[in-house]
Amino acid sequence: MKKRALVLIPVLLLGAFQLLSHATYSAPQTIELLPSEIMLRGAGATQQLLLESRAGGVFNGDLTARAAFSSSNPVVAKVNERGLVTAVSDGRSIISAKIGDQLTSTVITVEQSFAPYPISFRNHVLPVMTKAGCNSGACHGAASGKNGFRLTLRGYDPEVDYLTLSRQASARRINKIEPAMSLMLLKPTLAVSHAGGMRFAPGSDDYKTISKWIASGMPAPSDTDPAITRLEVFPKQVRLFAGQPQQILVRASFSDGHVEDVTRWTKFFSSDENVAVVDDKGIVKLQGAGEAAVSVWYLSRVSAARVFSPFANTISAEAYQSAPRSNYIDDLIIQKLQELAIEPSRLASDSEFIRRAYLDAAGILPTAEEVQRFLADNAAEKRTRLIDSLLERPEYVDYWSYRLSDMFLVNSQKLPSNAMWSYYNWVRSGVAENKPLSKMARELITASGNTLSNGAANYYVLHKDPIDITENMSIAFMGFSITCARCHNHPLEKWTQKDYYQMANLFSRVALKNGAGRGDVIVYSSDAGDINHPRLNEPLAPRPLEGPALKIDSAVDRREHFALWLTSSENPFFGRAMVNRIWKNFMGRGLVEAVDDIRDTNPPTHAELLEKLTRDFIDHNFELKHLIRTIMNSSTYQLTSVPNNTNKGDLKYYSHYIARRLPAEVILDALSQAAGVPEKFKGHPPGRRALQLPDTQVESYFLDIFGRPPRIVAVDSERQQEPTVTQALHVINGDTINRKLRSREGFVQKLMDSNPDNRAAIEQVYLRSLSRRATTGEVQALSEALDRNYKQLLEMLGARKTPGSGSASGYMAEADTKEKSEAVSEEEESIAASVKKPAVASKHAAPRTDEKPESLARRQVLEDLMWAVLTGKEFLFNH
Amino acid sequence: MIQLDAEKGVNFCDGLRRRDFLHAGALAFFGLTIGDFLQWKALGAVDKNKDVNCIMLFLVGGPSHLDTFDMKPDAPAEIRGPYKAIATNVAGIQISEIFPRSARHADKFSLIRSVYHNGAGVHDVGHQMMQTGRFFQAGTEHPHIGCVLSKLKGPKGDAPPHVLLPRPIGNTGGNLPHGQTAGFLGKTYDPFVLNSDPSEPDFKVPDLLPPDYLPPIRVDGRASLRTLVDKSVSYLESTPDARLLDSNFEQAYRLISSQSAREAFDITKEDDQTRARYGRNRFGQSCLLARRMIERGVRFVTVNMFETVFNEITWDIHGSAPFSPISCYRDLVGPMFDNAYSSLLEDLAARGLLDNTLVLAMGEFGRTPKINPAGGRDHWPNCWTILMAGGGIKGGQVIGSSDEIGGYPKDRPTSPAQVAATVFRALGIDLETELPGAQNRPVPIVDYGTQPIKELF
Repeated sequence: MKKRALVLIPVLLLGAFQLLSHATYSAPQTIELLPSEIMLRGAGATQQLLLESRAGGVFNGDLTARAAFSSSNPVVAKVNERGLVTAVSDGRSIISAKIGDQLTSTVITVEQSFAPYPISFRNHVLPVMTKAGCNSGACHGAASGKNGFRLTLRGYDPEVDYLTLSRQASARRINKIEPAMSLMLLKPTLAVSHAGGMRFAPGSDDYKTISKWIASGMPAPSDTDPAITRLEVFPKQVRLFAGQPQQILVRASFSDGHVEDVTRWTKFFSSDENVAVVDDKGIVKLQGAGEAAVSVWYLSRVSAARVFSPFANTISAEAYQSAPRSNYIDDLIIQKLQELAIEPSRLASDSEFIRRAYLDAAGILPTAEEVQRFLADNAAEKRTRLIDSLLERPEYVDYWSYRLSDMFLVNSQKLPSNAMWSYYNWVRSGVAENKPLSKMARELITASGNTLSNGAANYYVLHKDPIDITENMSIAFMGFSITCARCHNHPLEKWTQKDYYQMANLFSRVALKNGAGRGDVIVYSSDAGDINHPRLNEPLAPRPLEGPALKIDSAVDRREHFALWLTSSENPFFGRAMVNRIWKNFMGRGLVEAVDDIRDTNPPTHAELLEKLTRDFIDHNFELKHLIRTIMNSSTYQLTSVPNNTNKGDLKYYSHYIARRLPAEVILDALSQAAGVPEKFKGHPPGRRALQLPDTQVESYFLDIFGRPPRIVAVDSERQQEPTVTQALHVINGDTINRKLRSREGFVQKLMDSNPDNRAAIEQVYLRSLSRRATTGEVQALSEALDRNYKQLLEMLGARKTPGSGSASGYMAEADTKEKSEAVSEEEESIAASVKKPAVASKHAAPRTDEKPESLARRQVLEDLMWAVLTGKEFLFNH
Repeated sequence: MIQLDAEKGVNFCDGLRRRDFLHAGALAFFGLTIGDFLQWKALGAVDKNKDVNCIMLFLVGGPSHLDTFDMKPDAPAEIRGPYKAIATNVAGIQISEIFPRSARHADKFSLIRSVYHNGAGVHDVGHQMMQTGRFFQAGTEHPHIGCVLSKLKGPKGDAPPHVLLPRPIGNTGGNLPHGQTAGFLGKTYDPFVLNSDPSEPDFKVPDLLPPDYLPPIRVDGRASLRTLVDKSVSYLESTPDARLLDSNFEQAYRLISSQSAREAFDITKEDDQTRARYGRNRFGQSCLLARRMIERGVRFVTVNMFETVFNEITWDIHGSAPFSPISCYRDLVGPMFDNAYSSLLEDLAARGLLDNTLVLAMGEFGRTPKINPAGGRDHWPNCWTILMAGGGIKGGQVIGSSDEIGGYPKDRPTSPAQVAATVFRALGIDLETELPGAQNRPVPIVDYGTQPIKELF
């Protein structure tokens, strides 16, 4: 009892309870039978029907249990009270369903009813075993099997499983004469002891499928077995209500033309159990508002039904009609918001927009002058013009070279410095030329020659064997991992082990030899060499996933073949993966999240939008700038990050700009820019910014703790953007910010020199750091606080001047030595870089020991003001 | 807001006495409102008579049970491996010769020799199952056991409730979460991560103290200015990262201002002899630091023995590069564990802390019974051994057993969920406690009906 109470309290507090009771059921406008067309082949073939209510074009309720069913021609097909249709004889029949005074019907065709309904090992028996979990990784599907009985994981190799079942263990597993005495039936029904427990009951559908197959002479799997060609789900999309379960039906089409209801053999998964859960019969129940995908898996095919339930908000249709729209992105985003009853926020102000646009597109802050100019501009097209100008800036090249280098793993840990630079410069020139991403991919995939002259070839120094290349290519260029398929068919995807090794064989002829000196490697395509499929122990025809195969003795360069396939305008994988990554950069969340986990069982939040953006990107020659322009010009991108009452909790449907902590390198550069003191990186000339570094190996504690990626594996999760206590400690006590604030060369010193009053100081700090004007309230509150702090500091400094305590001078003396030693070391570095700056020495001078307490206190107060702004959320976040 | 400890002064090295940096929200920054806290207590989820701490030694890489704590001296050579079994101070219990010191403490710990998991035999899966008791599905990331404790009990004094030493587990080959965060509880309950190696000569927690030029009056002044500046973006509080940033700053200020919290990290206060006894290496010094932390109010310390299994000598003895050879158990990894583990048990016992500190030592899986062609052993989640000591559990026992080659549990198969249930029980947490999941859906700390290992209590 006490535990229940414990849960209920937060539920009541947060209003989730209210949410459920609000979703009242409204009368259906129309009813519809699913599937709408049915063909049954073979005597006794069955199809479950669904009666769905439908309003406004959306299915919104499973009424099957309340309907009365009838068949116009029971001689052809009969239907029971639960809506299960069974084939009787050839012909057509109309099946009707009635609920209240509403009536609807569907047509059924029965053919080959004299032929027995054949039970196939591949298409029926194995799916039963898969669904019952017999061949799961935890049971007999484990690499070592269980208790001396080993099946292939989820039945990926029917021939092997057939032999195991029919021949091994003295053929005791199957008793042809008396099927019920087969171990294959005795074990899972617990008629004899079974460590795996009861898997199905005697007499159940599963039991009957297996016993019928045995009784029919246990036909072996063969190449002529009908192969699955298509998997459909019904309903494809449905709105759920609390307390109203929804059945999902699954139907498979086969190569011999027959179609079958395979719901009972299908495995079901929910993508988000906070929205909906699904049981193993395919019955879905609502858990909370939002959207989820119910994935279905049968015979290595995957499909999904979309289920959703609106939030408990009341929003007028007009709110959506009048929402700002600039291009197709907005239409699709608003459509979904309307379905889920979330109201989009208003457009961002010009100040919000300019800061955001600079940071997202080029990784820099706008200068105070740029902000002022933009705010003063009255042109209607000024945002579009700003976007265009950003894409032409050198910092745009810095930023995107860095991001692409993350993806290409430009890294001096695994490459000597000169090779790393060659690799980086290849990336950088590609970005600078606005080279189509497809062209960059093609250059990289087919790279040959000296790594020092052809930077892209370094890819093959980082990834040397076909396995590594295959797995990296799929993550980096296609946004998904096929690693599972290295050892067995992918358990949740269509990729088979065969697919994997066919793809791997495309890279089996990449060869390396040493070049002239350190870092120089020569990459070339050898004309021999294959990688074997480990089980078949022979090489397979090289073939990209779902693409055309090359003959194994073909003279075509295999990498060329892969590159052509990957970057063809018909290939959905590459464009989609790139679009999804770029989208995330601007919108804070991938349309598929994580961006490198694209798979059918992890569908996008906005499938149509992803498809459209991908098409658009491909049609515009895979140009990064075109894609960026499209995204940045959308109203969706230009919404404010300030939420309204209906979209506070939304981090998924783009109802407002998603505020997020800036990336490590962007924060460091922004700090340097605002404080007016560049960061110095070891081995790099003064003034080089973090985003201009070619490599993430450059020593920087700040960048490490703020989560720059190590560039070891091409996964997006390498980059960490969450705030941590370590970061907080560093900005409070650490030397990165503090050194910049104390520098005699920085902005604080300039402020001191120009000696502004509080108001002017605050205004200047705000404009250059936060890209906006400080409000009157802010100026006033901060000004008072500055005065207060100044007085306290002065008091302390004065008090310490009294003889005996001696700490005021001690204080300054200490700072003095520190500053001096820093100045010396920086000077040494600048000499090393052969940049003589004699004039600097005087500016580097430490606070004079004779500096008046008033001036010292003033300086410290200004440093503290600047610190407060640079460590505030408004600065550290993009919003 | 509630003022928890505003009157408490803090002594600074410079002799100044000043207000605590933190006035309000002392509990809130650990994600707990006082209301929450009292509710948990009132509802009995937290047993106030039982204030047990925990040190979780995570033996990253997966120790071979057959070469450590589940010896098979009578098995053929390719099974029993190169090491001999030795007697311990408990009659009938044998462990590997690579742990001579630990063998003198078998009365303090119990061995569970029948642990298994059903997931894939990759490191990441074992990490998440052993640290959370679950396999993650449908996008739900479950919390580390220590984070659940943070959520339910909150901090004890100024120290963070859960600390992770020295660094989080990094790349171990897969791309699944390792179960080392607070998952759906929110990052507020993530462990405080040390991110520094306590065996380094110049070890210190980075940035724990303000530099000399920032006297407390300025640190305070800055904090109040920052609060003013942040007012303009109060709406950001609806995003989890913004809330997290706030709580991070508050936690940072608390660490800076608390003498006892700072001392918990100050390993230089330990004498040379003690430091040597634990082993002058990353793991040994982390274990010593773990003891200091428990003494100063940290409730849960996770110590990761290694960060990765690549290009580093670890428990992951595949026998070929970039992994480790089996001989490293004798030469390096075994002694490293033996020294740290036995010293920890000795010290905790001597200080009377063992009774209320559970010491858990476990890896993510066992290793193949048969030595592979490279002379090593591969991943084997079907059966392995873990150790539990202290915290009120009975030592000197062997729970469960494996078959004659250590391939599968012979009796009392024990799942990661049961291990988690056992830890929760030892920590005095009701096994039917429910945590608030996403959209406030209740998620039980372990699946209903999961039984702890009763023999241990």
